[in-house]
Order: sequence, then C-alpha cells, then structure tokens
Amino acid sequence: MRDILIRDISVVLWPAFLVGGIAEGLFFTVINPQELYLFGHPVTYSPLATYSIGFFAFWALCAASSWLTSYLLRSAEDVNRKPSVGDDETKAK
Amino acid sequence: MSDTAAPRRVIPIVEVVEDSLYEVRRKVYPRAVTGTFANWRWALVWFTQILYYGLCWMPWNGRQAVLFHLVERKFYIFGLVLWPQDVFFLAVLLIISAFSLFLFTAVAGRLWCGYACPQTVYTEIFLWVEKFFQGDRAQRMRRDTARWTAENATRRFAKYFTWAAISLWTGFTFVGYFSPMSELVDSVLTWHVGPWELFWILFYGGSTYMGAGVMREQVCKYMCPYARFQSVMFDADTLVITYDTERGEARGGRKKGLVTRDIAHATGMGDCVDCSICVQVCPTGIDIRNGLQYECIGCGACIDACDQVMEKMEYPKGLIRYSTQNALAKHWQLNDIVKHVIRPRILIYSALLVSVSLAFIWGLASKPELRVDVSRDRASLAREVEGGLVENVYRLHVMNVSETTRRYAISVSGLAGIDLLGERIIEVPATSAQSTTLRVRAPVDGKHGAQVIYFDVKSLAEERIKVHEKASFIQP
Ligand code: SF4
Ligand code: SF4
Repeated sequence: MRDILIRDISVVLWPAFLVGGIAEGLFFTVINPQELYLFGHPVTYSPLATYSIGFFAFWALCAASSWLTSYLLRSAEDVNRKPSVGDDETKAK
Repeated sequence: MSDTAAPRRVIPIVEVVEDSLYEVRRKVYPRAVTGTFANWRWALVWFTQILYYGLCWMPWNGRQAVLFHLVERKFYIFGLVLWPQDVFFLAVLLIISAFSLFLFTAVAGRLWCGYACPQTVYTEIFLWVEKFFQGDRAQRMRRDTARWTAENATRRFAKYFTWAAISLWTGFTFVGYFSPMSELVDSVLTWHVGPWELFWILFYGGSTYMGAGVMREQVCKYMCPYARFQSVMFDADTLVITYDTERGEARGGRKKGLVTRDIAHATGMGDCVDCSICVQVCPTGIDIRNGLQYECIGCGACIDACDQVMEKMEYPKGLIRYSTQNALAKHWQLNDIVKHVIRPRILIYSALLVSVSLAFIWGLASKPELRVDVSRDRASLAREVEGGLVENVYRLHVMNVSETTRRYAISVSGLAGIDLLGERIIEVPATSAQSTTLRVRAPVDGKHGAQVIYFDVKSLAEERIKVHEKASFIQP
C-alpha cells in the first residue's frame, strides 16, 4: 500500500501543480481579482491573497482529477490486494 | 456430511511481487569536471544568474525595469508595458520561446537542459558548494558512509546552511519580480512582510533547495515534461553527445607506455580504457557508452572528462563528442554534419519562428498609445430632464499606455444637439488609467430605443493619438 501512496502523491500532485499553474494564469489574465464576488459579496482579500488562494484552488481541483485517473488506472492486482472479501483464503494459500 | 462433498476449492493465487513503480535511487555523486563544456556551463551560470538576481534591482523611467506587477495587473519589461488587454503579446512570446526551443533541440539536442535550465544551473551551484565543504566525489562518498564525527557534522551543516541561504535569496528575488522590490525591501527591513509574500519566498526557496540539493537528476528523469518529449524533435541529423563505439570498443584497461595504441589496436582493443570517469562525472548517473538515453541532459561533462583521459593516453580527443547518428554511421566529417543542418524539419521550425517573430514585432509597432473603454452606467437609467432633453450616463475608462503623462479632450457626437455635461479634459499619468463619469444630453426626438453615438478622446499635445469609440444612447 505504501508504494501506491507514494506513487499517488508524486504522480497526482506534480502534474496537478503544472496544470493548476496554467489554469491560474489563464483565469486571472481575463478576470480581475478585484471584480470577483464571493457568495454575493465583493472579494475583499488583498489581490496577492486572492491570486494565491486561486492557485491552490486550481491545484486542488486538478489534483482531484489526477487522483481519480490514477485510482481508475489501478491494476486488477492492486484492487485484489486490498484486504477485503476472501482475505483469509489469500492467507491460507 | 458425505464424503462425496467436493474438496474445498483452492484458488491458486499468484504471488504478488511487491514491485516498486520506481527503481530504487542510487545516490549520484557527480565528480567535478573541468574543460571546454564545463567552462561554457559556468559562463551560462554566471550570465543567467547575474540576469536573474540583478534585473529586479534595475530602475527604468522611475520604476522597476522588469516587474510583473500582480496587484496593478501590469507587466513592465523595460519600455514595454503590458496590460491585461495585451495578453496576445504574452501568448506570442510563449509561442516564440516554444519554437526557439524546438529549433535548438532539433539542431543540437538538449542545449537548454545542459546549460540554461534553472534545474541545471542551481544544481551546478549547489554542487560547487557541496564540493567546497565536503570535497569531491570520492571524499563525499567516504564521508557519507563514515561514522559521525564533529568535523563531518560541521561540514555537512555548513553545506546545508549555505544552500538554505542561497535558496532564501532566490525565493526573495523571485517574489521581487511580482511585487515591487522597493516595497518588498521596506517590508523586510521593518519586519512587516505580508503573509503571502513570505509564503511565496519560502515556497520558491524551498523548491530551489529541494530541486538542486535533494532531488537533482530525479527532476529531469521523472518530473520534467520536456525531457520526455524532446525525442520527437530529434532526428538522425541532430547533434547529440555520443560515444564512438566503433573507435572505443573493445574497451579495456591497459598500462600507458607498456601498450602503445598500435599494439592495443592490433590485439583488437579499442581506445576506451574503461576508466569509468565518464560515468563518474555524469550528473544523471548514466553510462553514455550504452548509447543515447533520455536521461542524458546533454551537459557535455563526459566529453570534457574523456578528452582529459585521451590526452593523458596521448590518443586523439573526441572518443565522446558532439556528433549525429548519421555522422557516426557514415563516417562524416564536420562539413558533412554542417551541410545536414539545413533540412526540412529545421526549415519548417525556422520559418514558423521567423513569421511569429515578425508578427510580434508588427504587433508591438502598431500597439496603440491610448485605449478607451466606454460603458453605460448601469446604476442610472436613461431619463428625461428639463428642457426636452434625455440624459444618459457613461463611464469612460481612459488608459494611457505611453510613458508620458497626457491630457485628453473628450467630446461626443452622432445625434443632433448632443452634448456633454461636466469635465471635458482628463489628465492621465504615464502607464496608468483613469475613469470618469460623463452625463450626455440630447433632445427628445420621438425615436425610442438605442441610437449610435461616438465618443472622441484626443491627446491635447499630439494630434495623432486619438480614439473614436462607439456607444449607444437610449431614448426612453
Ligand atoms: S551522459 Fe554525458 S552529456 Fe549526458 S548527462 Fe551524462 S555527462 Fe552529461
Ligand atoms: S572516460 Fe572515455 S576512456 Fe574513460 S571510460 Fe569513459 S569513454 Fe572510456
């Protein structure tokens, strides 16, 4: 399991970082952070804070998508190895 | 139950091999190297870093020369000021960089990786620090496995400390490109650095430390997208770093002086003395003698190293050298290689690069010095006022893109008897914008709905700088 965890962290977070950065650039090129509304109220954070929070939001979203991809890509072996039904049989081998 | 019951079925389960997705990393201890390519690399380290650490301190027209001002949403690059409306120029700049990279790569392989990539440059600097405190490859390997002594610990700590200081300064410089250096320095001196500024200084500094100090060649091998796709720009005429297998094999150790080159050749030996120095100097830890590999960042360290060995052996240099696949296979000389630089792939990349660059220059030359946005004030409706007039309210956003403060005259036209109330002259400082609210009145003419009117904004000093902007006037 540890391997999968490390793989997930590196192949999920890193591409998400790159794509999140591009998304951030595109988004804030066309949208002025000072013109944003949060739950109906104008955003009052400093621009730098808005940019930063925006970046992390994009990063998180991209990471979610990457993680889902990597989750669905898991091989039958990885899925079967999960201790669940038939676990004892595996051990009885 | 009965003894006819089927025996419990045993499903054979294939043993799962706990196979790590990644190979276990052997720590690479690159050995320091001197020579032509090492000199080039150091020259580029100096050049790029003087540029990077220095440019953010350079003044220009009373402001920072290069500043990607996030808060003002304006990018200053010397005399060029880019507004969000100019995103086109940024996109074209990116395309130009991409095509240059394609072109360089097709001609001479991974020049970028070997000499200019920040990952390479900072690794080079960090390796120098490492060598300064902990010695060269052999010493470092010994020290890493030796027992802890006060001396070893001090050396190690001094290295970490220097790395951290360089990283911190790098992070600080980075942030200085996005928020003005003068303010940043003030905030540091008064201990009032904004939380996000501080965060990004540490974030970028931390990345530098991790990339150049800890992860090193793994960044190139596992994280860099360019390293993965550079091969599509390669062909058999691309200059790459190659080991001349024909000349080098069969490799083998020999005693200089005892075995002359002729004797070695007569006994079937090649020129490679199998000293493995080319492997020791390689920052990615590969053996170039196994052929072209994607891990090779084209740094030329192995060329320098092998040339020194060849010199000592009194053999001709260039057992490892810049060459092309075709040149090696067909025994080409230098002029054949040069002749093959011009080929369809190169011509296409060059043509694209030239046309995009021309478009960029043309765009810059025709960049307007004045921009005006007109919008109808959404808060106030068109209304009838005294004297049989209709009033509409507009917001004019006047952007002075030039480097001088300018005064502009505003007028309106398009309907009989149309006129404006209030200020008709607006002063806008250099490279900034000013908004003004204008009330426009025209006689009621019985036609309901929107009618086209025009705003004219003209520079008072220079006739040619003017904008004719359309708007709609509502008759209720
Ligand atoms: S093989 Fe040679 S050129 Fe390639 S990375 Fe290693 S030392 Fe540099
Ligand atoms: S440095 Fe040159 S001689 Fe030494 S092992 Fe490498 S290729 Fe052979």
